[in-house]
Amino acid sequence: MLADALGTAGRAATGRTGALPVLSGVRLVLDGNQLSVTGTDLDLTIQLTVEVGGEADGGVVLPARLASDIVRSLPAGKVELEVSDDNVHVSGGRSQFTVRPLSIDDYPKLAAPTTSATTLPAAEFGEALRQVVRAASTDDARPILTGVLFSAEEDGLRMVATDSYRLAVRDLPGQQALANAQRVLVPGRALGELARLVGGGADLVMRLGDRDASFEVGSTRLTTRLIDGEFPNYRQLIPADHPNLLTVERDALLDAIRRVKILARESTPVRLAMGGETLRISAITQDVGNASEELDAEFRGTDLVVAFNPDYLIAGVEACTGEHVTLATRDGMKPAVLRGQDAADYLYLLMPVRVPGS
Amino acid sequence: MPTSAPRRVILHVDMDAFYASVELRRHPELAGKPVAVGGTGRRGVIAAASYEARRYGVRSAMPTVTAQRACPGLVLLAGDHQHYAEVSEQVQAIFATITPLVEPLALDEAFLDVTGSRRRAGSAAALAAELRRRIDAELGLACSVGVAPNKFLAKLASKAAKPVSTPTGVRAGPGVVEIRPGEELTFLHPLAVEALWGVGPATLAKLDRLGVRTVGDLAALDRRAVVAALGRAVGDHLHDLAWGRDERPVEPQRVVKSIGHEETFATDRFTADELRVELVRLADGVAGRLRGAGLAARTLTLKVRFAGFDTITRSVTVTTPVDTAHGVVRAVDPLLAAIDPSPGVRLLGVSAANFTAPHQQLQLGLDATPGRAAAEASGWHDAEQAVDRIRARYGSTAIGAASALEAAPGAAGPGSGRARRALRVVRRGAQQWGPDG
Repeated sequence: MLADALGTAGRAATGRTGALPVLSGVRLVLDGNQLSVTGTDLDLTIQLTVEVGGEADGGVVLPARLASDIVRSLPAGKVELEVSDDNVHVSGGRSQFTVRPLSIDDYPKLAAPTTSATTLPAAEFGEALRQVVRAASTDDARPILTGVLFSAEEDGLRMVATDSYRLAVRDLPGQQALANAQRVLVPGRALGELARLVGGGADLVMRLGDRDASFEVGSTRLTTRLIDGEFPNYRQLIPADHPNLLTVERDALLDAIRRVKILARESTPVRLAMGGETLRISAITQDVGNASEELDAEFRGTDLVVAFNPDYLIAGVEACTGEHVTLATRDGMKPAVLRGQDAADYLYLLMPVRVPGS
Repeated sequence: MPTSAPRRVILHVDMDAFYASVELRRHPELAGKPVAVGGTGRRGVIAAASYEARRYGVRSAMPTVTAQRACPGLVLLAGDHQHYAEVSEQVQAIFATITPLVEPLALDEAFLDVTGSRRRAGSAAALAAELRRRIDAELGLACSVGVAPNKFLAKLASKAAKPVSTPTGVRAGPGVVEIRPGEELTFLHPLAVEALWGVGPATLAKLDRLGVRTVGDLAALDRRAVVAALGRAVGDHLHDLAWGRDERPVEPQRVVKSIGHEETFATDRFTADELRVELVRLADGVAGRLRGAGLAARTLTLKVRFAGFDTITRSVTVTTPVDTAHGVVRAVDPLLAAIDPSPGVRLLGVSAANFTAPHQQLQLGLDATPGRAAAEASGWHDAEQAVDRIRARYGSTAIGAASALEAAPGAAGPGSGRARRALRVVRRGAQQWGPDG
């Protein structure tokens, strides 16, 4: 249990030892039988509370990676931590480790927003996170796009992310987590960590402040700085109608793309040829070879070929729920829209790859 | 020569003093004078010398300065790779009428497998003679042809067919030399062992210790002794050659693995800004050839040779393949930025590899990201294709980067201040023998 806590909090600790070396550590604070474990890089903070047998209150900062590796490697059973002047002794079974701690005086004071809390169903929210975060950019050169937009819609909460190649939109109808027309930009990285923490069942408590947001799941609290700036106007990007609509079995499509992708080296696109009652997926890589596969499909519209980055396409199909997915297209240059059939609350918009002859 | 396969007939066609001869063809007034083609600058090397120039000892790969010393009346012409390539294509067209199995080695030499073509012309020697007559009649150029059962011997035979320059005059060569089946060893064994492909100074020294001077000496050694002295790969290979055995086929299409340009500067470059100007020009040349071949590249390599001749290469692999100068520069620029040019940079090169068909991930039109990175990529691709069309119509110097225009005074030397407002663009092979001027 301590190993999990150290590992989880450690994910927020920074690997870069820059201006503040203490941030590469996790802080442990014992208060009675409550041990709180905290990791932070100042943008993202993860704090967990675990029940322990406490002897003397106090705090220490341990190198995050080292502490996690040590505790994880110890045999199952009781782990003892003892803090002396300059050292921390970690023992379990017949193993002994002595570790030099980092300076707890340097550890930053962390505040969490105290705004009013909203309770969300954890399972549904977790699914929404997984569907949307994948479309957020990981390129820090465009900070706005590394965020996920939380916006209040008439009928509930909406989450939106785009990396400029694709766009994911998920609605959580009936969730009034935000004030009217409020818009908040939450870092995708923090939400990715949150998605790992959200299991099934329990509720999730969200607090949105002006500069920070916090999420509590059980005894774990994740706090993140918000991103400042205006999210692009994504509504104008979603086409009102599409002349071509393909309906295909979700799992069969995923398997087929994954197979064909074997011959699509890195960013080589896969081509989707739609027409009649079939979908033909193919990939060609210069000097390596080619692959193709045919799937039964339902198609309405004019025969056409559209090419996509296979990883982006897989990410979109994975995010759709239901047995079948629909792919709506206009031509080889215009955005395509993936949806789970009969799932009106999610869409994944994806730009094609331009290939010769398209 | 026991082989079960049908005996092959290979021609090695080597144009006589090709670049110099092509120049003489368009400068008839230079006939009879010693002429050489190569880098005209002080860092240049001779690429080709006419037979008159060879009488004075001028040889290809000789530094231009040395050649001018050896032959004070030498007429030195800057190379015109584009023109030679055009003439080379005309020569290739004649080859193609004889056999589809043509393997070009360079602009001025090629192997032809004529095993299946002989019947029409009679003997192989007659076919070779006919080929020489046609190249002379149609293009006004001389060549020498070697005829043999394999590539290695054919190349040796063409060398024996060449004209010979002596201090007193040029002696015409036989033009065609045929090594007939059964005559291989008679031809081969008296030759000095350096005649074998792959014998460089290091190997030569090792062979010398074994008392090997001629090919025949090497053939007489036990194969195991040769392998012990030279290693398995080299030893086996050379022993085979010494016995006239070479099974390598004539390979018509050699797959292009990389496209690159490099340039030796007339004067060393010392600042990142100067180098960046050169980088843009080189990238322009590379990208133009990529688009011409219908390819895009994912791996880009920067080559830098410093004043002291130590050379480094740095590579980067990008996720979205590039076929624009803009894309090449974007990928390579960080590599260049990481290099300290202060010791002086003598040569800069850019090459592209890891080809794919060009494709381009399209972007959403996000209002918050006007003109950003990849959103521009599509615009660059279209713009550079337009550049290709303009160049195809008006010539390669019709359009280029503004920085290439400003770079022109570089030819006048630093500090002279005389700005020659000319556009310098990279042309394939324009610089392979060192900078001009």
